[in-house]
Amino acid sequence: MHDRVYCTPTLRALSYFFVVLCDGEVVHTHVSALLSSLIDAHDGGADAVGEQAPHCYTLKTSTERPATVDVGRDGEPVGSGLELGVAVAWLVWDVNRLAAELSGEHLLFHAGGVEASGVGILVPGASGSGKSTLTAGLVRAGLGYLSDELVALELDAAGSGPDRLVPYPKPITVKSGSFGVLADLTPAFLDGEDDGEWLVPVGDDTGRRVGDPCQPGFVIVPRYDPSAETALVPLTDTEAFFTLALHAVNLLSHGPAGSEAIGRLAAHCASFSLAFSDLDAACKLVLGLVGAGV
Amino acid sequence: MGASWPEADSVPARHEGASVVRLDDNLAVYDDVGQLMILLNSSAAAVWNLCDGSTTVAAMVRELAEMYPDEAPVIGDDVRGTLRKLAELGLVEQGEEAL
Repeated sequence: MHDRVYCTPTLRALSYFFVVLCDGEVVHTHVSALLSSLIDAHDGGADAVGEQAPHCYTLKTSTERPATVDVGRDGEPVGSGLELGVAVAWLVWDVNRLAAELSGEHLLFHAGGVEASGVGILVPGASGSGKSTLTAGLVRAGLGYLSDELVALELDAAGSGPDRLVPYPKPITVKSGSFGVLADLTPAFLDGEDDGEWLVPVGDDTGRRVGDPCQPGFVIVPRYDPSAETALVPLTDTEAFFTLALHAVNLLSHGPAGSEAIGRLAAHCASFSLAFSDLDAACKLVLGLVGAGV
Repeated sequence: MGASWPEADSVPARHEGASVVRLDDNLAVYDDVGQLMILLNSSAAAVWNLCDGSTTVAAMVRELAEMYPDEAPVIGDDVRGTLRKLAELGLVEQGEEAL
């Protein structure tokens, strides 16, 4: 019988606030470490959460299957008898989904994002393009992590810019194809192992820093190609605009303000395509481009 | 608008829900109502900019022929073709003045 409950601080995924309740110290310690980069700086403050209480996930030791957990959200059962890695991977996926759904005030891009000396770098790309791998490589090289999946642009209220990238530092998802080139990021606990993915924590005590909110300065459009010579090629404003528009998750809901913001991005940022077969070489090119002294 | 549109005295007007973003020599046109985004090259953008609801097609052709004298012989067809395409996309409509 478990009579003690452990709770994380309020965690924030853009405009989605949540906590995770666990009934075991080991599970709590692991989840807290993995999600610590999402701790809301205003934890407990009404301004941050507003009138609503944060959503609540539960990871409860299963009574049916030893060494597994039952998962719930807001009091509703979601899954039972799940291995911890699978349960945590689902939780991260669900948080990501709801962050995208509930953060409509931001213009969201299916992209990675990093920050170098206060300048933001957007890495838009479809699944399989190498954006998460490149993002992880740049974070490993010392750049600040914004996101590997969903980059949020906070639009200037006056509609004239400058707009600002805001961090959504979820754990970095590394797919099996990149395990070799990112071997030093192997997590102590292999969340999502069954799906061939790692969840890599970021933030304090990990050696991988979270980036600060920043104005975007660069757009790098990656394309992993094992036969390609790793090279940066400049994009025109037109090419950058349509690439960004293609990867904007909620452009339609922003209407003209969204397309105008993408126009500002394309005009303001230096944009490049990056074909790469060698992650280290690709990171060196980007670091040289942005003048990162890391 | 009939099958013969646009005619020389037609006065095309940009759709009110459309907004534009300037990119290089091109224009990205976003139509909030139709939720459509297209890229106009420089010559199509020049036609678009003249769709103010008061400039006739004949005046458009004259103005563009003065700007691009080498292409004057084909500008009339180009302008009408561009206007028909923009109208098909719902980005241009017949202006009030000709009604």
